[in-house]
Amino acid sequence: MAEKPKRTTLVVLGVIAILVIVVAAAFMLLRPSAPAAPPTATVIRFAGWSAGETEMKNYQKLIEEFQKANPGIIVKYEVITQMFSENILASYAAGAAPDIFYLDSAWAPVFIERGAVYPIGDKLPKEFIDQFYPFLLEPFKGRDGKLYGIPKDWSVLSLFYNKKLFAQAGVPEPTEAWTWEDLFNAAQRIHQRTGKPGLVIHAELNRWLPYLLSNGAPSPSFYSAADAAYFDNPAVRNSLTRFIEMFQRGRKEGWIVTPADINAGWSGEAFGKQLAAMTIEGSWLIPYLSDQFPDFKYGSDWDIALLPKGSAGRATMAYTVALGVNPKTENLDAVLKFLQYVQGIEGQRLIVVQMGHTLPSIKALATDPGLWPSHRKELDMVGKYDKVQVFFYGAKTGELEGAIAQVLGAAVKGEIAASDAVSLMKDKVKQSFGG
Amino acid sequence: MVFLFQGKRSVEYLAFILLTIYPLTLNFFFGYFSMIFAFMLSFFSWDILTPMKFVGLGNYARMVQKLVVGFQAFLSDPRLAYLKAPFFNGLKNILLYTALVVPAQTLLALILAVLASRAPRGSYAFRVIFFLPATTCPVIVSLIFIWLFMRDGFINYFVSYLTGGFRPDWLNDPVFLLPAIALVAIWGTSAHFSVTFIAGLQALPKEVYEAAKIDGAGPVQRFRHITIPLLKPLITYVVVLGTIGALQMFDLAWVMAGQSGGAGGAGYTIALDIYNTAFVQLQYGYAAAKAVLLFSIVFTLNYYVQEKLKQPWVR
Repeated sequence: MAEKPKRTTLVVLGVIAILVIVVAAAFMLLRPSAPAAPPTATVIRFAGWSAGETEMKNYQKLIEEFQKANPGIIVKYEVITQMFSENILASYAAGAAPDIFYLDSAWAPVFIERGAVYPIGDKLPKEFIDQFYPFLLEPFKGRDGKLYGIPKDWSVLSLFYNKKLFAQAGVPEPTEAWTWEDLFNAAQRIHQRTGKPGLVIHAELNRWLPYLLSNGAPSPSFYSAADAAYFDNPAVRNSLTRFIEMFQRGRKEGWIVTPADINAGWSGEAFGKQLAAMTIEGSWLIPYLSDQFPDFKYGSDWDIALLPKGSAGRATMAYTVALGVNPKTENLDAVLKFLQYVQGIEGQRLIVVQMGHTLPSIKALATDPGLWPSHRKELDMVGKYDKVQVFFYGAKTGELEGAIAQVLGAAVKGEIAASDAVSLMKDKVKQSFGG
Repeated sequence: MVFLFQGKRSVEYLAFILLTIYPLTLNFFFGYFSMIFAFMLSFFSWDILTPMKFVGLGNYARMVQKLVVGFQAFLSDPRLAYLKAPFFNGLKNILLYTALVVPAQTLLALILAVLASRAPRGSYAFRVIFFLPATTCPVIVSLIFIWLFMRDGFINYFVSYLTGGFRPDWLNDPVFLLPAIALVAIWGTSAHFSVTFIAGLQALPKEVYEAAKIDGAGPVQRFRHITIPLLKPLITYVVVLGTIGALQMFDLAWVMAGQSGGAGGAGYTIALDIYNTAFVQLQYGYAAAKAVLLFSIVFTLNYYVQEKLKQPWVR
């Protein structure tokens, strides 16, 4: 009887000892490690999401060229396919964040305000920074005025229209003189004559902002509960109410719809399947149409146009992603060298211009002969907007976009009145800041 | 370490250690450590990037306040409660979902098991066919069902035929979204639990059935008065596991309804809310407090279920 506890104790001790060894070994093996490198080499970790196999191959090619030009630096390219920003946050918690990584404009304030990105503007040459469109730098500036990220590329909202449906309905194609009223009238007439909705658009603030801004609303900027007063601004309240009521009426009549109304996952799919005559989408729709609907051709079947004018001018939205640098990186010089290589003219020519997924963030590349014609047209149109608002509403952009979209979704379905929707949006902003 | 393996039972000890080391390691880190860490985290305010700040019961007080606000919003206008109080909405939805799924999946699993154990010819093929859903990844299943549940989809083809033209918009109508998710869950989990019941049915004594037959009991009476009471421990097991799984449902809602819970917030669950609180709003401490509440609900409900099933069914 006396032996039993002794044996049990020994077994428990044995289990614990082996457990510790196994765990220690696992940590040693699984710890993010650099590839085999000469003892003098500097290794930097670069993390991004994947926009397809071609992009990854191009990055690999660019990295190889960079390594050849800089024999002392090795770049480890890490592709995070899902929930990128969440993964980066988790890697910060684990003390294993990459040296340089994609930084979405919506997430930028989260990283900047918490000191999780390095103010690279202090270290980069002025002439390098001056190459970029100034409005694309705005989301990556901290409240201290410092620059924390350099945009790697960008996209802009445009009006995509189906030339065949316009012709079938006998409606003239959009022109520079178009106002929002012209767009809505055209959508109604196309629906009356073809039976298809004239406009498919997401019920999201970022898609509606061009309408609001072009009708006198200021840019949204939410940093505290007090900023919820944005929705009390008469221009915001009136234009939002008008758009919601018009959407509710149009949805009942069938000439304006959300993608779900016509069994589509998103506006681009609805447009590509020719279920609707127009949509307001970003540059990402261009490669999508080219890949998924090769018989639906740019120029002959569909085209892009400026977003219409409002009473206070013309506005559009821009979406951008920067490269941010981990402030704890031990290889800042190598990282900055790599950043300038990837985001410089040659890097963007390979990764952005030739791929055609997005638009180059360097002004000089707007005339590059390698640009897709559709992208060149979008870049030519940018100068005609009075305001280009980057997708960025302040400290909680991503969270607020989701919360407001839910309210707008209920509003367009007629579940709530326009006035209630505006009040609810105000509440959402207040709540997100603990108000 | 050598001293451990001396003696006549050394091989057994070695086998014990080798067999338990892997599950124990996993259980320790992903089970107990995570649980204790989450519980401790619920007393802190933390956004990962800055140091933790002790807030005592602040997260719990805030959670209770949100539940009260949600309840009031629900009483004043149930249709809009999801916009004003997502956490309350998630809690309400998951309780409703559990009430829909657990009884249905248990009953269906039992019926499938009885059918499979009774069919002599081709019963093996039958078992394989209805166990197939259990072997498929829930995300893949959800994606397939999104396609089937479309307004002009396969399911509405039959619904329309049977109801004279009625075609519910399963995924975009708040009334049908949660039942649609529940149907997918019932379809996917019943098969798994039916295998448990088949094992139980095979172990039941045949003499009892033969005696009942001689006494004139029909198939339904035998099922009700013999099969169900004898399978009570297994039914308890299935109900408990089913309840735990249903209350923690995340994957189906994420795929079929989206991060915000879809139409009318009908697909929003408490697990989705915990995810959004942690990973979108970066309030990890508050999310941990919500997770503790979910654990308390799972624990209490299962305790109640087990106590309830202990009571005699046959009078």
